[in-house]
Order: sequence, then structure tokens, then C-alpha cells
Amino acid sequence: MAEVQQADSGGGKKGRQKKMAIRVDFTPMVDMNMLLITFFMLCTTMIKSQTLTIALPSNEKVQNEENMSQASADDAVTIILDAKRKDGSNLVDSVNHRVQPIVYYYEGKPGGEGGMFGPNGSILAENNNLQESEFLTTDAATGTARGIRSLIQKRNKDVLAEIEKLKKKYADGGFGSLETKDGREKAQEAYNEACAKVRRDENLKKPVIVIKATPEASYESLVSILDEMQINQISKYQIDNMTSVDSVMIMAKRGLLNK
Amino acid sequence: MGRVKIAKKSTFIDMTAMSDVTVLLLTFFMLTSTFLSKEPATVITPPSVSEEKVQETNYVQVLVNPEGKIWLTMNNDTSSNWSNEKMKKALLEKVSEIYNESHKSKPVNFSVAQKDAFAKLGSFGVPLAQMGEFLDLADQPEGQTKMDKWLEGTDGNPNHVTGIPISKEGSDANPDEFQMWMKAMRQSANTNLVDKIKDGSGVAIKADQNTSFEVIHTVMDNLQSIHMNKFTLLTALKGAAE
Repeated sequence: MAEVQQADSGGGKKGRQKKMAIRVDFTPMVDMNMLLITFFMLCTTMIKSQTLTIALPSNEKVQNEENMSQASADDAVTIILDAKRKDGSNLVDSVNHRVQPIVYYYEGKPGGEGGMFGPNGSILAENNNLQESEFLTTDAATGTARGIRSLIQKRNKDVLAEIEKLKKKYADGGFGSLETKDGREKAQEAYNEACAKVRRDENLKKPVIVIKATPEASYESLVSILDEMQINQISKYQIDNMTSVDSVMIMAKRGLLNK
Repeated sequence: MGRVKIAKKSTFIDMTAMSDVTVLLLTFFMLTSTFLSKEPATVITPPSVSEEKVQETNYVQVLVNPEGKIWLTMNNDTSSNWSNEKMKKALLEKVSEIYNESHKSKPVNFSVAQKDAFAKLGSFGVPLAQMGEFLDLADQPEGQTKMDKWLEGTDGNPNHVTGIPISKEGSDANPDEFQMWMKAMRQSANTNLVDKIKDGSGVAIKADQNTSFEVIHTVMDNLQSIHMNKFTLLTALKGAAE
């Protein structure tokens, strides 16, 4: 292939050149190409980053207290993110070079009906309803949710049951035929719309989740908890600042308070 | 004794086919590649189940390292009549205008050469008071390396500060430098970018998974107080979802 056969030019007698095969050695060319390929392979990014959209409320102070939407104590679940770091620094604890996340949560008001504080500012540690949990995925073998996910699913079971029904309907072709690509897209769209409607449905009992985090909490756990909201179809959640009661509860939980 | 004669055979291997294949591969990689832009800090983004892809153009990337230093990257689309370089120049003019309003005693002004140097930057992030000195490096021999080192904070000069100054007290009326930059971005002439910033997909925060919430909160709080309530977080795809 790399040879060029010289055609016999005429039937000349004199000055007839010897037939010569011209061979081009492609080895250096291949070498160079390989180098270039290696360069491009190492310099390119094939995986594109994913994004997670979040919307925060405006920072402006609400003038009129009545306009503030208050979650009823029944619906409220407060999740507090925390993390184990090296003492007194923002450094990573040396386990796997990852921050060890801790998740606390309490349902309803801090301290339950009694509240965390006694009449003269004393701390009522026995009222502490803060509980510790962790980030765990659904158990693959049994399909049961674990850790913080099981709590969220328990609180949001009405919505999840409705979504499950819709999923089944979708699989059975209730939103349109799944035979063609076009049909699948349309069915998917209708399904998503129905899901959004269920999430917003005022008649279903839904939790309102307040996400708080201590300064040490890792960014990873923030993203994880936002993921849980998405996985468990939570429509009402917000990221809020820690209050002094929350800090007191965490300290009491850790046993750092001497009453 | 008859010696066995071994026929002399040519060892020439035909490389043409090989060459064909490599050229094809090369073409593929050249056409599909998008280069990793050099960033002042390497961060590992946290995994998430979200499947939205990051946009290719028209977004502002806010890179946050675990120590809370911030660098910005502005990605314009170059399809219309604004080029990335033109928009960057306009951005620098705008931000110095905003800066000079609150720093009347020590205003910053940039020469044409400095603006040109800024237009060629990828990520940027030094305090505005040092920006002039930083941009002057571009004309020096090995200026690019010096600039990169400055941004990484490894140039050994204790006076050179890297990262855009940010404070917890930044507000709409009294913005810190990070907010000034974001405000200037929002006033860009590229309406596509402005629209994206408004709907939230135009601001992407890229931070390391181990960054403390304190740092992230400062950044989010700063964005909130200049009415950028919607933004996106850059994440990596989670391996085993659900």
C-alpha cells in the first residue's frame, strides 16, 4: 500500500530507468499521531458536570409578620447538618479524606411542647427532642429506606403513594403509548406534570422541611440533603439559619452542657 | 555440506492502515474535545442525583476553594456580535466604575494594555486594588506563568493576594468586591447572559465537597443580598443513583 509502482514509460531502449518501488515509511507519522491522540485524550473532559438548581428566598426582612407563612408544628421537620472535623479547624478528619457528616433532626417545635427553656432561662435537657441520623441509601436487598431517608419517606408517605400510582400508570401506558420515541417523550412529559401536581396538592399531608447547618457541616452534606428532597418528592423545604435553641440542643445532645 | 539458505525477507511493515486509524481517532478527539480550563484551585465537586447538565456558554462560574477564596470565570456565547474579549473589557470597566463609587479616595483605573490583558484571562480573582499590578505581568517575559502562580497563591510574594475579597457584611447598598463583580456581570451587554443569570442557570457555584458550610453560606448570602436568589451548584454524577 505504501508502495508506488512506477509505470513503465514507453518502450524506450536507452535511458530506461530501473523499475523501482517507492516505499514511504509511515512509522514516524504513526508515532506522531499517537502522541497527538494521547495529548487530546488526556486534555479533554468527556463528562460534563451536573448542576443542581436552588432558589433561596429574598434576604430582605419581612416587614409584616402576618405575611410570613408559618409552617404548623405538625408538619415541620428540622434537619440540622453537622460534621466531624479536626478539633478547632476546618480541616478534614483523616478518615478517607472526607468529612464525616452527622445529621440531626427534630419534628415539630424544638424541645417539643414543653420547649427547651425553663422559666428563668434554665435549659430543660429532658425536653430535647433532637435525634441523630445518617445519610444512607436505600437498602438494595430489601428495598427499605434507611437513615434520614426513612424519616422523610415516612413523613411524606401520602405524596409518595400517589407518585407510585402514577409511576405504575406510566409503565402501563396510561399516559400514552410507550412504543415510539415520540410517544415516550409525550408520556414522560404528562407524567412529570402529574407528579408536579401531586407534589403541590394541598389536600395531601406533606412535611415542611427546614434545613439548617452548623458552620462545620460540609458542602457535600448540603448537596446530599437537597438530593434527598428531590428523591423523596418534597415540595416544601428551605435552607435556614441556625437559631440559638438549635445550638443548645446540639450541645445538649453531645453532652457538652453541664446543667 | 549444503547450508540451508534462509531467504532474506523484508521486515518492512506496512504502516499505512495504522496511520489511517490513528488519523481517524485523532480527528475524533480533536472535534469532540473541550479543553479543561486551567483553574487556580482544584476542587472535587460533591456527587448528586441531579441530571441537569451544565450549560456550555452564558454562565458565570464561581469557584470556591475550601479556604473560602473565590475566583470567577465568565463564559459568554460568542455566536452573536459580542466576543468574549469585548465583554470582558466591558466587565472590567463596569466593575471599576462600581468600585470607584465606594472608593473615591483610592480609585482604580486601567490602561488599554491592562484591559487587553484582562480580556485574555480565563479565571480571574485578585483584589481590585492589585488588579493593575497583576495585569501588568502579562507584558513581562513568562508573564502567564507568573499570573498563574499569583492566582494559585504560590508565587512567594506575601503582598500578592489571590481570591476576590468577600465579607459576611456585604449588602446591596454597600457591596463587597465579590458582589461588585456579580453586579457588573448582571449589567453586561450580553442579554443572553443576563437572562440566564436572572433565571438562575447563569450562576454556577463550584466548590469542593469538604468545604465547610460557613464558607458556602457566606457566598450564598452575598448572592442573596444582591437579589440573585436563584443559582445552581455544580455537582458530579452519583455512581449508583438512588
